[in-house]
Amino acid sequence: MKEKKGSALSCLTDILNKAFFIDFAKGLKVTLGYNMSKIVTLNYPDREKWIPYQRWRGLHTLNRDPDGRELCVACELCSRACPTDCITVIPMEDDTGRGIADRVAKVWEIDLVRCLFCGFCQDACPTTAVRLGREYELACKDWSSTKRDRQQLLEEPEIPETLMGGVYKASFVFNKKEVKVVPDLTKKRKNFW
Amino acid sequence: MSENENIEDREELLSTKKVTISMGPQHPSAHGVLHLILEMQGEKILRAEPDIGYLHRGTEKIAENLLYHQFTPYTDRLDYMSAMSNNMAYVMAVEKALGIEGDIPDRAEYLRVIVAELARCASHLLGIGAWAVDMGALTAFLYCIREREMCLDLFEMISGARMTCSYMRVGGVRYDADQKFFDKVRDFVRILPEKLDEYNKLLTGNRIWIQRNRDIGAISAEDAINFGFTGPNLRASGVPWDIRKDTPYSVYDRFDFDVPVGEKGDCFDRYLLRMAEMRQSLRIIEQALDSMPDGPIAVDIPDVVPPAKDAIYDNMENLIHHFKYVSSGFTVPEGEVYSAIEGPKGILGVYILSDGTEKPYRLKLRVPSFVNLQVMDFLSKETYMADVVAILSSLDPVFGECDK
Ligand code: SF4
Ligand code: SF4
Repeated sequence: MKEKKGSALSCLTDILNKAFFIDFAKGLKVTLGYNMSKIVTLNYPDREKWIPYQRWRGLHTLNRDPDGRELCVACELCSRACPTDCITVIPMEDDTGRGIADRVAKVWEIDLVRCLFCGFCQDACPTTAVRLGREYELACKDWSSTKRDRQQLLEEPEIPETLMGGVYKASFVFNKKEVKVVPDLTKKRKNFW
Repeated sequence: MSENENIEDREELLSTKKVTISMGPQHPSAHGVLHLILEMQGEKILRAEPDIGYLHRGTEKIAENLLYHQFTPYTDRLDYMSAMSNNMAYVMAVEKALGIEGDIPDRAEYLRVIVAELARCASHLLGIGAWAVDMGALTAFLYCIREREMCLDLFEMISGARMTCSYMRVGGVRYDADQKFFDKVRDFVRILPEKLDEYNKLLTGNRIWIQRNRDIGAISAEDAINFGFTGPNLRASGVPWDIRKDTPYSVYDRFDFDVPVGEKGDCFDRYLLRMAEMRQSLRIIEQALDSMPDGPIAVDIPDVVPPAKDAIYDNMENLIHHFKYVSSGFTVPEGEVYSAIEGPKGILGVYILSDGTEKPYRLKLRVPSFVNLQVMDFLSKETYMADVVAILSSLDPVFGECDK
Protein backbone atom coordinates (compact mmCIF):
# COMPACT_ATOMS: atom_id res chain seq x y z
CA MET A 1 0.00 0.00 0.00
CA LYS A 2 2.71 2.34 1.07
CA GLU A 3 4.71 1.48 -1.99
CA LYS A 4 1.86 2.37 -4.27
CA LYS A 5 1.54 5.75 -2.69
CA GLY A 6 5.27 6.34 -3.17
CA SER A 7 5.11 5.44 -6.81
CA ALA A 8 2.08 7.66 -7.33
CA LEU A 9 4.00 10.51 -5.73
CA SER A 10 7.04 9.91 -7.87
CA CYS A 11 4.77 9.78 -10.89
CA LEU A 12 3.36 13.14 -9.96
CA THR A 13 6.76 14.73 -9.43
CA ASP A 14 7.81 13.24 -12.73
CA ILE A 15 4.90 14.89 -14.50
CA LEU A 16 5.55 18.18 -12.74
CA ASN A 17 9.23 17.98 -13.62
CA LYS A 18 8.34 17.46 -17.23
CA ALA A 19 5.67 20.12 -17.34
CA PHE A 20 7.97 22.78 -15.91
CA PHE A 21 11.03 21.64 -17.88
CA ILE A 22 12.99 21.10 -14.69
CA ASP A 23 15.58 18.92 -16.44
CA PHE A 24 16.31 21.60 -19.02
CA ALA A 25 16.36 24.30 -16.38
CA LYS A 26 19.03 22.37 -14.47
CA GLY A 27 21.16 22.08 -17.59
CA LEU A 28 20.66 25.75 -18.41
CA LYS A 29 21.76 26.69 -14.90
CA VAL A 30 25.07 24.98 -15.57
CA THR A 31 25.62 26.64 -18.92
CA LEU A 32 24.49 30.08 -17.75
CA GLY A 33 26.78 29.77 -14.75
CA TYR A 34 29.68 29.67 -17.17
CA ASN A 35 28.78 33.13 -18.47
CA MET A 36 30.48 34.57 -15.44
CA SER A 37 33.36 32.15 -15.11
CA LYS A 38 36.98 32.40 -16.17
CA ILE A 39 37.90 31.87 -19.81
CA VAL A 40 39.48 28.49 -20.47
CA THR A 41 40.40 28.92 -24.12
CA LEU A 42 43.47 30.50 -25.66
CA ASN A 43 43.34 33.38 -28.07
CA TYR A 44 45.50 31.49 -30.53
CA PRO A 45 46.93 32.49 -32.97
CA ASP A 46 46.05 36.16 -32.69
CA ARG A 47 47.15 37.09 -29.19
CA GLU A 48 48.33 34.09 -27.24
CA LYS A 49 50.40 30.99 -27.72
CA TRP A 50 50.91 27.83 -25.76
CA ILE A 51 54.57 27.13 -25.10
CA PRO A 52 54.80 23.44 -24.28
CA TYR A 53 56.39 22.01 -21.18
CA GLN A 54 60.11 21.40 -21.21
CA ARG A 55 59.95 17.73 -22.13
CA TRP A 56 58.06 18.52 -25.30
CA ARG A 57 59.18 16.53 -28.30
CA GLY A 58 58.87 18.92 -31.20
CA LEU A 59 61.15 19.93 -34.05
CA HIS A 60 64.71 18.70 -33.68
CA THR A 61 67.58 21.01 -32.90
CA LEU A 62 71.27 20.41 -33.39
CA ASN A 63 73.34 21.96 -30.66
CA ARG A 64 76.76 23.44 -30.02
CA ASP A 65 78.94 23.36 -26.95
CA PRO A 66 79.65 26.61 -25.02
CA ASP A 67 82.62 27.33 -27.31
CA GLY A 68 80.41 27.22 -30.35
CA ARG A 69 81.68 23.92 -31.69
CA GLU A 70 79.16 21.48 -33.09
CA LEU A 71 78.40 18.66 -30.70
CA CYS A 72 77.56 16.17 -33.43
CA VAL A 73 80.33 13.65 -34.08
CA ALA A 74 78.44 11.95 -36.91
CA CYS A 75 78.36 8.61 -35.15
CA GLU A 76 75.05 7.79 -36.90
CA LEU A 77 73.54 6.34 -33.74
CA CYS A 78 70.49 8.57 -34.10
CA SER A 79 69.75 7.22 -37.55
CA ARG A 80 70.19 3.67 -36.26
CA ALA A 81 67.82 4.26 -33.36
CA CYS A 82 65.13 5.85 -35.50
CA PRO A 83 62.18 3.50 -36.09
CA THR A 84 61.31 5.16 -39.39
CA ASP A 85 64.80 5.70 -40.83
CA CYS A 86 64.15 9.37 -41.33
CA ILE A 87 67.57 10.74 -40.37
CA THR A 88 70.38 10.81 -42.91
CA VAL A 89 73.90 11.34 -41.58
CA ILE A 90 76.98 11.44 -43.78
CA PRO A 91 80.23 11.92 -41.87
CA MET A 92 83.38 13.69 -42.99
CA GLU A 93 86.78 14.60 -41.65
CA ASP A 94 87.32 18.19 -40.50
CA ASP A 95 90.10 19.25 -38.14
CA THR A 96 89.51 23.02 -38.32
CA GLY A 97 87.65 22.96 -35.02
CA ARG A 98 84.17 23.00 -36.40
CA GLY A 99 83.07 20.13 -34.19
CA ILE A 100 84.15 18.79 -30.85
CA ALA A 101 85.95 15.97 -32.67
CA ASP A 102 87.65 15.63 -36.03
CA ARG A 103 84.67 13.76 -37.34
CA VAL A 104 81.74 16.00 -38.19
CA ALA A 105 78.53 15.64 -40.14
CA LYS A 106 78.71 16.60 -43.80
CA VAL A 107 74.99 16.00 -44.17
CA TRP A 108 72.53 15.77 -41.33
CA GLU A 109 69.06 15.77 -42.71
CA ILE A 110 65.71 14.83 -41.30
CA ASP A 111 62.54 13.98 -43.16
CA LEU A 112 59.79 15.40 -40.96
CA VAL A 113 56.85 13.74 -42.68
CA ARG A 114 58.19 10.36 -41.62
CA CYS A 115 59.20 11.36 -38.13
CA LEU A 116 57.12 10.01 -35.26
CA PHE A 117 58.51 12.52 -32.76
CA CYS A 118 59.29 9.65 -30.46
CA GLY A 119 62.55 11.10 -29.17
CA PHE A 120 64.58 7.94 -29.62
CA CYS A 121 67.21 9.89 -31.56
CA GLN A 122 67.63 12.22 -28.61
CA ASP A 123 67.97 9.25 -26.26
CA ALA A 124 70.50 7.63 -28.55
CA CYS A 125 72.80 10.58 -29.16
CA PRO A 126 75.91 10.12 -27.02
CA THR A 127 76.88 13.81 -27.17
CA THR A 128 73.38 15.32 -26.71
CA ALA A 129 73.80 16.99 -30.08
CA VAL A 130 70.31 16.27 -31.33
CA ARG A 131 67.48 17.32 -29.05
CA LEU A 132 63.80 17.63 -29.66
CA GLY A 133 62.88 21.27 -29.28
CA ARG A 134 59.62 23.05 -28.64
CA GLU A 135 58.75 24.26 -32.10
CA TYR A 136 55.48 22.67 -33.14
CA GLU A 137 54.02 24.78 -35.92
CA LEU A 138 55.23 22.57 -38.73
CA ALA A 139 52.45 22.82 -41.29
CA CYS A 140 53.78 23.64 -44.72
CA LYS A 141 52.68 24.02 -48.31
CA ASP A 142 55.27 22.09 -50.28
CA TRP A 143 57.46 19.04 -49.99
CA SER A 144 60.68 21.01 -49.89
CA SER A 145 59.90 22.36 -46.44
CA THR A 146 59.29 18.93 -44.96
CA LYS A 147 63.03 18.33 -44.84
CA ARG A 148 65.39 20.14 -42.53
CA ASP A 149 69.13 20.11 -42.98
CA ARG A 150 72.05 20.74 -40.66
CA GLN A 151 72.22 24.49 -41.22
CA GLN A 152 68.57 25.03 -40.35
CA LEU A 153 68.68 22.82 -37.31
CA LEU A 154 71.84 24.45 -35.96
CA GLU A 155 70.15 27.83 -35.70
CA GLU A 156 69.48 29.03 -32.19
CA PRO A 157 65.97 27.90 -31.21
CA GLU A 158 63.49 30.69 -30.55
CA ILE A 159 62.46 29.29 -27.22
CA PRO A 160 65.34 28.78 -24.81
CA GLU A 161 65.47 25.36 -23.20
CA THR A 162 65.23 26.73 -19.69
CA LEU A 163 61.95 28.57 -20.26
CA MET A 164 58.96 27.10 -18.45
CA GLY A 165 55.94 26.12 -20.47
CA GLY A 166 52.67 27.99 -20.29
CA VAL A 167 50.50 30.56 -22.01
CA TYR A 168 52.40 33.50 -23.44
CA LYS A 169 51.33 36.67 -25.20
CA ALA A 170 52.03 36.45 -28.91
CA SER A 171 51.52 38.21 -32.19
CA PHE A 172 50.41 36.75 -35.44
CA VAL A 173 52.66 37.31 -38.44
CA PHE A 174 50.99 36.70 -41.75
CA ASN A 175 52.66 37.69 -44.99
CA LYS A 176 53.76 36.26 -48.29
CA LYS A 177 56.91 34.80 -46.83
CA GLU A 178 55.68 33.20 -43.66
CA VAL A 179 52.74 32.46 -41.41
CA LYS A 180 53.89 32.40 -37.85
CA VAL A 181 52.93 33.10 -34.27
CA VAL A 182 55.72 34.94 -32.52
CA PRO A 183 55.52 34.64 -28.74
CA ASP A 184 56.58 37.40 -26.38
CA LEU A 185 58.58 35.38 -23.87
CA THR A 186 58.37 37.99 -21.13
CA LYS A 187 54.61 38.05 -20.83
CA LYS A 188 53.16 34.91 -19.33
CA ARG A 189 49.68 34.37 -18.03
CA LYS A 190 48.23 31.69 -15.83
CA ASN A 191 46.54 28.77 -17.53
CA PHE A 192 42.98 27.96 -16.55
CA TRP A 193 43.97 25.22 -14.11
CA MET B 1 -8.28 -15.63 -51.45
CA SER B 2 -8.43 -13.05 -54.16
CA GLU B 3 -9.22 -10.45 -51.59
CA ASN B 4 -6.09 -11.36 -49.67
CA GLU B 5 -3.94 -11.03 -52.75
CA ASN B 6 -5.42 -7.65 -53.38
CA ILE B 7 -4.47 -6.50 -49.95
CA GLU B 8 -0.92 -7.74 -50.43
CA ASP B 9 -0.71 -5.94 -53.76
CA ARG B 10 -1.82 -2.73 -52.20
CA GLU B 11 0.64 -3.11 -49.34
CA GLU B 12 3.38 -3.62 -51.87
CA LEU B 13 2.46 -0.37 -53.52
CA LEU B 14 2.32 1.53 -50.27
CA SER B 15 5.44 0.07 -48.73
CA THR B 16 8.68 1.92 -49.16
CA LYS B 17 11.41 0.58 -51.36
CA LYS B 18 14.49 -1.02 -49.89
CA VAL B 19 17.52 1.20 -50.28
CA THR B 20 21.15 0.80 -49.41
CA ILE B 21 22.95 3.84 -48.16
CA SER B 22 26.47 4.43 -47.00
CA MET B 23 26.98 6.15 -43.70
CA GLY B 24 30.52 7.40 -43.58
CA PRO B 25 33.44 7.35 -43.96
CA GLN B 26 32.86 11.10 -44.02
CA HIS B 27 29.60 11.31 -42.16
CA PRO B 28 29.52 13.93 -39.39
CA SER B 29 28.24 11.49 -36.81
CA ALA B 30 30.10 8.37 -37.87
CA HIS B 31 33.08 7.83 -35.65
CA GLY B 32 36.39 8.18 -37.36
CA VAL B 33 36.51 6.56 -40.74
CA LEU B 34 33.83 3.94 -40.30
CA HIS B 35 31.88 3.12 -43.42
CA LEU B 36 28.53 1.63 -42.44
CA ILE B 37 26.52 0.07 -45.22
CA LEU B 38 22.91 0.36 -44.18
CA GLU B 39 20.15 -1.52 -45.91
CA MET B 40 17.00 0.32 -45.02
CA GLN B 41 13.32 0.30 -45.62
CA GLY B 42 12.17 3.80 -44.98
CA GLU B 43 13.71 4.71 -41.68
CA LYS B 44 14.00 1.12 -40.56
CA ILE B 45 17.32 -0.71 -40.66
CA LEU B 46 17.27 -4.16 -42.19
CA ARG B 47 20.98 -4.76 -42.14
CA ALA B 48 24.00 -2.80 -41.00
CA GLU B 49 27.38 -3.86 -42.19
CA PRO B 50 30.54 -2.13 -41.02
CA ASP B 51 33.09 -1.79 -43.80
CA ILE B 52 36.40 -1.26 -42.11
CA GLY B 53 39.98 -0.84 -43.17
CA TYR B 54 40.23 2.80 -44.22
CA LEU B 55 42.92 3.39 -41.64
CA HIS B 56 44.83 0.19 -42.15
CA ARG B 57 48.55 0.72 -41.80
CA GLY B 58 49.81 -2.80 -41.32
CA THR B 59 50.90 -2.21 -37.74
CA GLU B 60 51.42 -5.90 -37.03
CA LYS B 61 53.63 -6.27 -40.08
CA ILE B 62 55.63 -3.18 -39.20
CA ALA B 63 56.44 -4.80 -35.85
CA GLU B 64 58.17 -7.69 -37.57
CA ASN B 65 60.70 -5.31 -39.07
CA LEU B 66 61.51 -3.31 -35.97
CA LEU B 67 63.51 -3.95 -32.84
CA TYR B 68 61.34 -4.68 -29.83
CA HIS B 69 61.82 -1.27 -28.23
CA GLN B 70 61.36 0.60 -31.50
CA PHE B 71 57.78 -0.56 -31.83
CA THR B 72 56.49 1.38 -28.81
CA PRO B 73 55.73 4.61 -30.74
CA TYR B 74 53.60 2.62 -33.17
CA THR B 75 51.37 1.39 -30.37
CA ASP B 76 50.55 5.04 -29.62
CA ARG B 77 48.80 5.14 -32.93
CA LEU B 78 46.46 2.25 -32.24
CA ASP B 79 43.90 3.68 -29.88
CA TYR B 80 45.10 7.24 -30.21
CA MET B 81 42.65 8.42 -27.58
CA SER B 82 44.58 6.61 -24.87
CA ALA B 83 48.12 5.99 -26.03
CA MET B 84 49.34 5.26 -22.53
CA SER B 85 47.26 2.09 -22.19
CA ASN B 86 48.51 0.75 -25.50
CA ASN B 87 52.11 1.39 -24.49
CA MET B 88 51.44 -0.50 -21.31
CA ALA B 89 49.91 -3.50 -23.05
CA TYR B 90 52.85 -3.78 -25.41
CA VAL B 91 55.69 -3.31 -22.98
CA MET B 92 54.09 -5.73 -20.54
CA ALA B 93 53.95 -8.39 -23.25
CA VAL B 94 57.63 -7.92 -24.08
CA GLU B 95 58.52 -8.00 -20.40
CA LYS B 96 56.65 -11.25 -20.04
CA ALA B 97 58.53 -12.68 -23.00
CA LEU B 98 61.80 -11.61 -21.40
CA GLY B 99 60.71 -13.08 -18.09
CA ILE B 100 61.31 -9.84 -16.19
CA GLU B 101 57.71 -8.92 -15.43
CA GLY B 102 58.31 -9.43 -11.72
CA ASP B 103 61.41 -7.22 -11.60
CA ILE B 104 59.84 -3.92 -12.64
CA PRO B 105 60.47 -1.40 -9.85
CA ASP B 106 57.46 -0.30 -7.86
CA ARG B 107 57.79 3.34 -8.78
CA ALA B 108 57.62 2.49 -12.47
CA GLU B 109 54.53 0.35 -11.90
CA TYR B 110 52.80 3.07 -9.92
CA LEU B 111 53.58 5.68 -12.55
CA ARG B 112 52.25 3.32 -15.19
CA VAL B 113 49.04 2.80 -13.28
CA ILE B 114 48.56 6.54 -12.81
CA VAL B 115 49.02 7.39 -16.47
CA ALA B 116 46.97 4.41 -17.63
CA GLU B 117 44.06 5.48 -15.45
CA LEU B 118 44.41 9.06 -16.66
CA ALA B 119 44.27 7.67 -20.18
CA ARG B 120 41.07 5.83 -19.26
CA CYS B 121 39.54 9.12 -18.10
CA ALA B 122 40.72 10.88 -21.25
CA SER B 123 39.26 8.16 -23.43
CA HIS B 124 35.90 8.02 -21.66
CA LEU B 125 35.63 11.80 -21.66
CA LEU B 126 36.07 11.91 -25.40
CA GLY B 127 33.78 8.92 -25.83
CA ILE B 128 30.96 10.59 -23.93
CA GLY B 129 31.65 13.98 -25.48
CA ALA B 130 31.57 12.72 -29.05
CA TRP B 131 28.46 10.72 -28.28
CA ALA B 132 26.76 13.79 -26.86
CA VAL B 133 27.57 15.86 -29.91
CA ASP B 134 26.18 13.11 -32.14
CA MET B 135 22.95 13.34 -30.13
CA GLY B 136 22.94 17.11 -30.53
CA ALA B 137 24.31 18.15 -27.14
CA LEU B 138 27.22 20.32 -28.17
CA THR B 139 27.69 21.84 -24.72
CA ALA B 140 28.50 18.54 -23.07
CA PHE B 141 31.06 17.88 -25.78
CA LEU B 142 32.83 21.15 -25.14
CA TYR B 143 32.92 20.54 -21.41
CA CYS B 144 34.24 17.00 -21.85
CA ILE B 145 36.98 18.25 -24.13
CA ARG B 146 37.95 20.84 -21.54
CA GLU B 147 38.55 18.13 -18.96
CA ARG B 148 40.25 15.88 -21.47
CA GLU B 149 42.57 18.77 -22.19
CA MET B 150 43.67 18.61 -18.55
CA CYS B 151 44.59 14.95 -18.99
CA LEU B 152 46.53 15.82 -22.11
CA ASP B 153 48.31 18.63 -20.27
CA LEU B 154 49.39 16.08 -17.70
CA PHE B 155 50.64 13.75 -20.41
CA GLU B 156 52.53 16.62 -21.98
CA MET B 157 54.15 17.35 -18.68
CA ILE B 158 55.29 13.82 -17.96
CA SER B 159 56.03 12.44 -21.41
CA GLY B 160 56.52 15.38 -23.74
CA ALA B 161 53.64 14.63 -26.07
CA ARG B 162 49.91 15.05 -25.76
CA MET B 163 48.57 12.11 -27.68
CA THR B 164 51.44 10.02 -28.96
CA CYS B 165 53.09 9.70 -25.60
CA SER B 166 55.51 6.75 -25.99
CA TYR B 167 55.97 7.10 -22.27
CA MET B 168 56.66 3.52 -21.35
CA ARG B 169 59.68 1.47 -22.23
CA VAL B 170 60.40 -2.20 -21.90
CA GLY B 171 61.54 -2.50 -18.32
CA GLY B 172 59.97 0.62 -16.87
CA VAL B 173 59.10 4.15 -17.91
CA ARG B 174 61.14 6.65 -19.84
CA TYR B 175 60.91 9.73 -17.65
CA ASP B 176 60.50 10.23 -13.94
CA ALA B 177 57.74 12.42 -12.57
CA ASP B 178 58.38 15.34 -10.27
CA GLN B 179 56.38 16.83 -7.43
CA LYS B 180 54.85 19.42 -9.75
CA PHE B 181 53.31 16.66 -11.81
CA PHE B 182 51.90 14.92 -8.76
CA ASP B 183 50.39 18.19 -7.54
CA LYS B 184 48.75 18.74 -10.90
CA VAL B 185 47.36 15.19 -10.88
CA ARG B 186 45.92 15.84 -7.45
CA ASP B 187 44.29 18.99 -8.80
CA PHE B 188 42.80 16.95 -11.59
CA VAL B 189 41.52 14.30 -9.17
CA ARG B 190 39.87 17.11 -7.21
CA ILE B 191 38.38 18.91 -10.21
CA LEU B 192 37.02 16.03 -12.29
CA PRO B 193 34.28 14.78 -9.89
CA GLU B 194 32.74 18.28 -9.80
CA LYS B 195 32.71 18.34 -13.55
CA LEU B 196 31.21 14.86 -13.73
CA ASP B 197 28.37 16.18 -11.57
CA GLU B 198 27.94 18.92 -14.14
CA TYR B 199 27.64 16.39 -16.97
CA ASN B 200 25.12 14.60 -14.83
CA LYS B 201 23.01 17.74 -14.72
CA LEU B 202 23.39 18.29 -18.42
CA LEU B 203 22.88 14.75 -19.64
CA THR B 204 21.72 12.14 -17.14
CA GLY B 205 18.47 13.90 -16.27
CA ASN B 206 17.91 15.36 -19.70
CA ARG B 207 14.83 13.86 -21.29
CA ILE B 208 16.17 14.04 -24.83
CA TRP B 209 19.31 12.20 -23.79
CA ILE B 210 17.23 9.59 -21.97
CA GLN B 211 14.88 9.03 -24.85
CA ARG B 212 17.64 8.74 -27.38
CA ASN B 213 19.51 6.19 -25.28
CA ARG B 214 17.22 4.35 -22.88
CA ASP B 215 16.33 0.87 -24.18
CA ILE B 216 18.20 1.51 -27.41
CA GLY B 217 20.72 -1.11 -28.44
CA ALA B 218 20.12 -3.35 -25.44
CA ILE B 219 22.13 -6.53 -25.35
CA SER B 220 21.80 -9.34 -22.84
CA ALA B 221 24.72 -10.60 -20.83
CA GLU B 222 24.74 -13.89 -22.69
CA ASP B 223 24.76 -12.26 -26.12
CA ALA B 224 27.41 -9.81 -25.02
CA ILE B 225 29.68 -12.66 -23.96
CA ASN B 226 29.01 -14.57 -27.15
CA PHE B 227 29.92 -11.56 -29.24
CA GLY B 228 33.22 -11.30 -27.41
CA PHE B 229 32.41 -7.98 -25.77
CA THR B 230 34.89 -6.69 -23.24
CA GLY B 231 35.36 -3.55 -21.23
CA PRO B 232 32.62 -1.06 -20.38
CA ASN B 233 30.32 -2.48 -23.04
CA LEU B 234 30.33 -5.92 -21.43
CA ARG B 235 30.02 -4.59 -17.90
CA ALA B 236 27.02 -2.49 -18.93
CA SER B 237 25.23 -5.77 -19.60
CA GLY B 238 25.79 -6.83 -16.02
CA VAL B 239 28.88 -9.01 -16.30
CA PRO B 240 31.45 -7.89 -13.71
CA TRP B 241 34.45 -8.91 -15.81
CA ASP B 242 37.40 -6.61 -15.36
CA ILE B 243 40.86 -8.13 -15.64
CA ARG B 244 42.26 -5.46 -13.39
CA LYS B 245 40.28 -7.20 -10.67
CA ASP B 246 39.95 -10.77 -11.86
CA THR B 247 43.47 -11.50 -13.06
CA PRO B 248 45.36 -8.54 -11.65
CA TYR B 249 48.38 -7.37 -13.58
CA SER B 250 50.91 -4.68 -12.68
CA VAL B 251 50.08 -3.46 -9.15
CA TYR B 252 46.31 -3.26 -9.47
CA ASP B 253 45.85 -5.80 -6.67
CA ARG B 254 47.14 -3.20 -4.20
CA PHE B 255 44.35 -0.75 -4.86
CA ASP B 256 40.84 -0.71 -3.62
CA PHE B 257 38.28 -0.01 -6.30
CA ASP B 258 34.89 -1.25 -7.46
CA VAL B 259 33.86 -2.63 -10.79
CA PRO B 260 30.61 -0.90 -11.67
CA VAL B 261 28.10 -2.92 -13.66
CA GLY B 262 24.96 -2.00 -15.56
CA GLU B 263 21.60 -3.75 -15.64
CA LYS B 264 20.01 -3.67 -19.04
CA GLY B 265 22.98 -3.30 -21.31
CA ASP B 266 21.41 -0.50 -23.31
CA CYS B 267 23.08 2.68 -24.48
CA PHE B 268 22.08 4.58 -21.36
CA ASP B 269 23.69 1.95 -19.13
CA ARG B 270 26.86 2.14 -21.17
CA TYR B 271 26.89 5.88 -20.59
CA LEU B 272 26.30 5.59 -16.84
CA LEU B 273 28.95 2.92 -16.61
CA ARG B 274 31.58 5.09 -18.23
CA MET B 275 30.75 7.90 -15.82
CA ALA B 276 31.05 5.51 -12.87
CA GLU B 277 34.28 4.07 -14.18
CA MET B 278 35.95 7.46 -14.31
CA ARG B 279 35.23 7.94 -10.62
CA GLN B 280 36.80 4.57 -9.88
CA SER B 281 39.84 5.52 -11.95
CA LEU B 282 40.22 8.65 -9.87
CA ARG B 283 40.10 6.50 -6.74
CA ILE B 284 42.92 4.36 -8.06
CA ILE B 285 44.97 7.42 -9.02
CA GLU B 286 44.51 8.92 -5.59
CA GLN B 287 45.64 5.75 -3.83
CA ALA B 288 48.62 5.44 -6.15
CA LEU B 289 49.61 9.04 -5.40
CA ASP B 290 49.33 8.45 -1.67
CA SER B 291 51.53 5.40 -1.69
CA MET B 292 53.95 6.45 -4.41
CA PRO B 293 57.26 4.74 -3.60
CA ASP B 294 60.68 6.18 -4.29
CA GLY B 295 63.32 4.38 -6.25
CA PRO B 296 64.41 3.69 -9.79
CA ILE B 297 61.99 3.99 -12.71
CA ALA B 298 63.35 1.12 -14.77
CA VAL B 299 64.88 -2.28 -14.20
CA ASP B 300 68.60 -2.55 -13.65
CA ILE B 301 69.32 -4.82 -16.60
CA PRO B 302 71.68 -2.89 -18.87
CA ASP B 303 70.78 -4.97 -21.93
CA VAL B 304 67.16 -3.95 -21.80
CA VAL B 305 67.41 -0.50 -20.26
CA PRO B 306 70.67 1.25 -21.16
CA PRO B 307 72.40 3.24 -18.41
CA ALA B 308 71.47 6.89 -17.96
CA LYS B 309 73.13 9.43 -20.27
CA ASP B 310 75.44 10.99 -17.71
CA ALA B 311 76.72 7.56 -16.67
CA ILE B 312 78.02 6.68 -20.11
CA TYR B 313 80.76 9.29 -20.44
CA ASP B 314 83.24 7.98 -17.91
CA ASN B 315 82.48 4.29 -17.98
CA MET B 316 83.43 2.21 -21.00
CA GLU B 317 81.13 -0.63 -19.99
CA ASN B 318 78.12 1.68 -19.90
CA LEU B 319 79.02 3.19 -23.25
CA ILE B 320 79.18 -0.27 -24.81
CA HIS B 321 75.75 -1.11 -23.40
CA HIS B 322 74.39 2.13 -24.81
CA PHE B 323 75.80 1.47 -28.28
CA LYS B 324 74.65 -2.12 -28.22
CA TYR B 325 71.11 -1.18 -27.18
CA VAL B 326 70.77 1.56 -29.78
CA SER B 327 72.29 -0.32 -32.68
CA SER B 328 70.93 -3.81 -32.19
CA GLY B 329 68.42 -3.83 -29.35
CA PHE B 330 68.04 -6.86 -27.14
CA THR B 331 67.14 -10.46 -27.86
CA VAL B 332 64.02 -12.11 -26.55
CA PRO B 333 64.11 -15.84 -25.80
CA GLU B 334 62.33 -18.14 -28.17
CA GLY B 335 58.69 -18.83 -27.40
CA GLU B 336 55.29 -17.25 -27.42
CA VAL B 337 53.50 -15.05 -24.93
CA TYR B 338 50.11 -13.46 -24.63
CA SER B 339 49.50 -10.65 -22.25
CA ALA B 340 46.47 -8.45 -21.89
CA ILE B 341 45.39 -5.35 -20.04
CA GLU B 342 42.04 -3.77 -19.36
CA GLY B 343 42.15 -0.88 -21.79
CA PRO B 344 39.57 1.91 -21.76
CA LYS B 345 37.64 0.20 -24.54
CA GLY B 346 38.07 -3.39 -23.47
CA ILE B 347 40.69 -6.06 -23.25
CA LEU B 348 43.74 -5.13 -25.24
CA GLY B 349 45.86 -8.19 -25.80
CA VAL B 350 49.30 -8.53 -27.36
CA TYR B 351 50.56 -11.87 -28.59
CA ILE B 352 54.22 -12.20 -29.45
CA LEU B 353 55.88 -15.09 -31.19
CA SER B 354 59.61 -14.83 -30.78
CA ASP B 355 62.27 -16.77 -32.65
CA GLY B 356 65.04 -15.71 -30.33
CA THR B 357 66.21 -12.65 -32.32
CA GLU B 358 65.91 -8.92 -31.71
CA LYS B 359 62.70 -8.62 -33.71
CA PRO B 360 59.38 -10.35 -33.15
CA TYR B 361 58.67 -13.16 -35.59
CA ARG B 362 54.98 -12.38 -35.42
CA LEU B 363 52.98 -9.92 -33.39
CA LYS B 364 49.23 -10.07 -33.06
CA LEU B 365 47.07 -7.45 -31.44
CA ARG B 366 43.69 -8.30 -29.97
CA VAL B 367 41.98 -4.96 -30.22
CA PRO B 368 38.67 -4.31 -28.42
CA SER B 369 37.21 -1.85 -30.95
CA PHE B 370 37.36 -4.44 -33.72
CA VAL B 371 35.64 -7.09 -31.65
CA ASN B 372 33.01 -4.74 -30.26
CA LEU B 373 32.12 -3.44 -33.68
CA GLN B 374 30.86 -6.76 -35.00
CA VAL B 375 27.72 -6.36 -32.92
CA MET B 376 26.53 -3.43 -35.08
CA ASP B 377 24.32 -5.57 -37.29
CA PHE B 378 22.79 -7.46 -34.38
CA LEU B 379 21.95 -4.31 -32.42
CA SER B 380 20.81 -2.11 -35.29
CA LYS B 381 18.33 -4.52 -36.83
CA GLU B 382 14.76 -3.25 -36.69
CA THR B 383 15.82 0.07 -35.21
CA TYR B 384 15.78 3.47 -36.83
CA MET B 385 18.49 5.46 -38.50
CA ALA B 386 18.83 7.82 -35.55
CA ASP B 387 19.35 4.91 -33.17
CA VAL B 388 22.24 3.60 -35.21
CA VAL B 389 24.13 6.77 -34.36
CA ALA B 390 23.47 6.25 -30.66
CA ILE B 391 24.46 2.59 -30.78
CA LEU B 392 27.65 3.30 -32.66
CA SER B 393 28.65 6.07 -30.27
CA SER B 394 27.86 3.93 -27.25
CA LEU B 395 30.22 1.20 -28.47
CA ASP B 396 32.92 3.87 -28.63
CA PRO B 397 35.10 2.37 -31.35
CA VAL B 398 38.36 3.98 -32.39
CA PHE B 399 39.54 3.28 -35.87
CA GLY B 400 43.24 3.57 -35.40
CA GLU B 401 42.81 0.49 -33.29
CA CYS B 402 40.09 -1.27 -35.24
CA ASP B 403 41.86 -1.04 -38.60
CA LYS B 404 45.37 -1.35 -37.15
S1 SF4 C 1 61.92 11.55 -33.13
FE1 SF4 C 1 61.86 9.34 -33.51
S2 SF4 C 1 61.09 9.15 -35.60
FE2 SF4 C 1 61.74 11.27 -35.35
S3 SF4 C 1 63.83 11.31 -36.07
FE3 SF4 C 1 63.95 10.95 -33.89
S4 SF4 C 1 64.01 8.74 -33.67
FE4 SF4 C 1 63.31 9.18 -35.76
S1 SF4 D 1 73.31 13.76 -33.68
FE1 SF4 D 1 74.23 12.56 -32.06
S2 SF4 D 1 73.70 10.46 -32.54
FE2 SF4 D 1 73.31 11.63 -34.38
S3 SF4 D 1 75.21 11.46 -35.55
FE3 SF4 D 1 75.39 13.31 -34.34
S4 SF4 D 1 76.41 12.67 -32.46
FE4 SF4 D 1 75.69 10.80 -33.47
